[in-house]
Amino acid sequence: MSQNPSTTSTLAGTGVSIDIRNVVKRYKTMTAVDDVSLTIEPGEFLTLLGSSGSGKSTLLNIIAGFISADEGSIEVGGKNLTKVPPYQRDLGMVFQHYALFPHMSVWDNVAFPLKRRRVPKAQIAERVQRALDTVELGHLGKRRPAQLSGGQQQRVALARAIVFQPQALLMDEPLGALDKRLREQLQLEIKRLHRELGTTFVFVTHDQEEALAMSDRIAVLRDGALVQVGTPVELYERPASRYTAEFLGESNIFTGRKHGVDDGSALVVRPEHVRLSAPGAELPTGHNAIDGVVREVVYLGSGLRVEIALPDGRHLITRSEVRSALTPSPGLPVAAHWHPEHALVVRDDTAA
Amino acid sequence: MNTKLLCRGALGFLVVLTALYLVAPVFFVIPTSFNDSSFLEFPPKAFSMRWYHAFFEDPAWINSTLNSLQIGVWVTILSVILGTAAALAMIRGRYPVKALVSGLVLAPVLVPYVIIGLAVYAVFLKIGLTQSILGFVLVHTALAVPFVVINVSAALVSFDERLEMAAMSLGANRISTFLRITLPCIAPSVAAGALFAFITSFDEVVTSVFLAGPDVSTLPVQMWSGVRVQIDPTVAAVSTMLLLVTLALFASAGLLRLFRARRLAKAA
Repeated sequence: MSQNPSTTSTLAGTGVSIDIRNVVKRYKTMTAVDDVSLTIEPGEFLTLLGSSGSGKSTLLNIIAGFISADEGSIEVGGKNLTKVPPYQRDLGMVFQHYALFPHMSVWDNVAFPLKRRRVPKAQIAERVQRALDTVELGHLGKRRPAQLSGGQQQRVALARAIVFQPQALLMDEPLGALDKRLREQLQLEIKRLHRELGTTFVFVTHDQEEALAMSDRIAVLRDGALVQVGTPVELYERPASRYTAEFLGESNIFTGRKHGVDDGSALVVRPEHVRLSAPGAELPTGHNAIDGVVREVVYLGSGLRVEIALPDGRHLITRSEVRSALTPSPGLPVAAHWHPEHALVVRDDTAA
Repeated sequence: MNTKLLCRGALGFLVVLTALYLVAPVFFVIPTSFNDSSFLEFPPKAFSMRWYHAFFEDPAWINSTLNSLQIGVWVTILSVILGTAAALAMIRGRYPVKALVSGLVLAPVLVPYVIIGLAVYAVFLKIGLTQSILGFVLVHTALAVPFVVINVSAALVSFDERLEMAAMSLGANRISTFLRITLPCIAPSVAAGALFAFITSFDEVVTSVFLAGPDVSTLPVQMWSGVRVQIDPTVAAVSTMLLLVTLALFASAGLLRLFRARRLAKAA
């Protein structure tokens, strides 16, 4: 609830930290969230990334208060909310399927949280208008949700979730129901909102590109457990495990067999770091190389994606510029090589 | 081509025949009510309004009509509250013996009304509830609740629970969420349930025959005895008026729906 009248002149709030401590949620046959601890910094854009069943939505719902954790605690802004009902947590939430109230106009939807907080009428009008203007729907207040497109509906949902200046904004795959073009447009808009509001955002998605594009930090979840937390650059360039490397972007994986013994590690080389030369040609000093035959070449406009068949039957993927020294075509023997600093040794956790 | 035409013709004929069969009583009742004869006679011989006068001049008819309306309103209010609560418990509740509870709530539809009437009569006679408005209201409510439950639970099943989650995340507590979000969304089904409840009560004759007496009676019981005891053409007049009221109700409901659709289309 807004106590200070001066904060009503702007929608911006100050971000709060969210502390997730040893949270566990078990269902009959599975552990949905497995001892997750994570601190989200004030004003941060943090994405919970994982495939379906990774526990990312369950964790978000535990933060929101819709699911109660079996163990552990949730603190928001230093206040323990573990036993506080969702309607007293003061957290904005955006759902995948918008969840707009169908029997109310757009305006009444956005005014709903303010009316619940008994904000004076004049202020409600002003704040609803500003929230709708922020998402560029100021002219559609009288419409019913059913008369709007999916993208417009999600923007109304955003306006409704920020109009009461919540401590933090939680988003559960908010762009999952939209087509690609709209999704990219709304990604930018959500980024802009985050920048302007300064509120802590917690975003759930299974789309790694979306996570890389939007987040300050990404928390990768797998089978309910936290795999790795870091900035997009950290996760992409220094994945701690094979799972993270394969989940974020494309990877060439060589399973580690030092002297014929599987030591539980794997070698990761990103496709953009693999270069191609003619077999036998002189390679840059220190480069690791492997011979193979071009199997497929895909023109991507901005570059080429080349698949190379290796003698042991596996294949290697490279990305290169269209104009490079060698023009690959299927059947051409090549030497694929890379600088050792681009070959990362990571824990091989995919067998488990 | 010819067989197709023949099939269509046969189907059309069947439809007309069925429709005629369904509305046939109306063609008998309406003319009879305007007949100037002391018996239920068809076809009528001379036009007269005397049976309409008879209805409004006889306190027995007027009282039973007022009783039926009063009972119907109470039954509607009670069964909508109880039925909606029961539907919520049946669809949303998480507790053991849920199936048993659902079975018990819906049981009155399955048990023959004669048996209910007889059982209720035996008990109410002892505690002095026969020939009382309260007695009628209690029995009719038990019969009407299942209709409300069936309507409302169907609406609850298709209701998106995430709307409630959204409302709560926006600061509405459980009661506020139910009153402002859930209830408005399922309102059309609640209204349909209310209509069913009212008709169930207003139309009820089997159990009511057991409860009625010279002091307190309902319109259907009065009509039933009107036919049985005196073959009184007032019954035809009452039937015609009831028919008109029902038609007006349904027509206004239809007009309301049309009006709402128009308004929505206009706002688009």
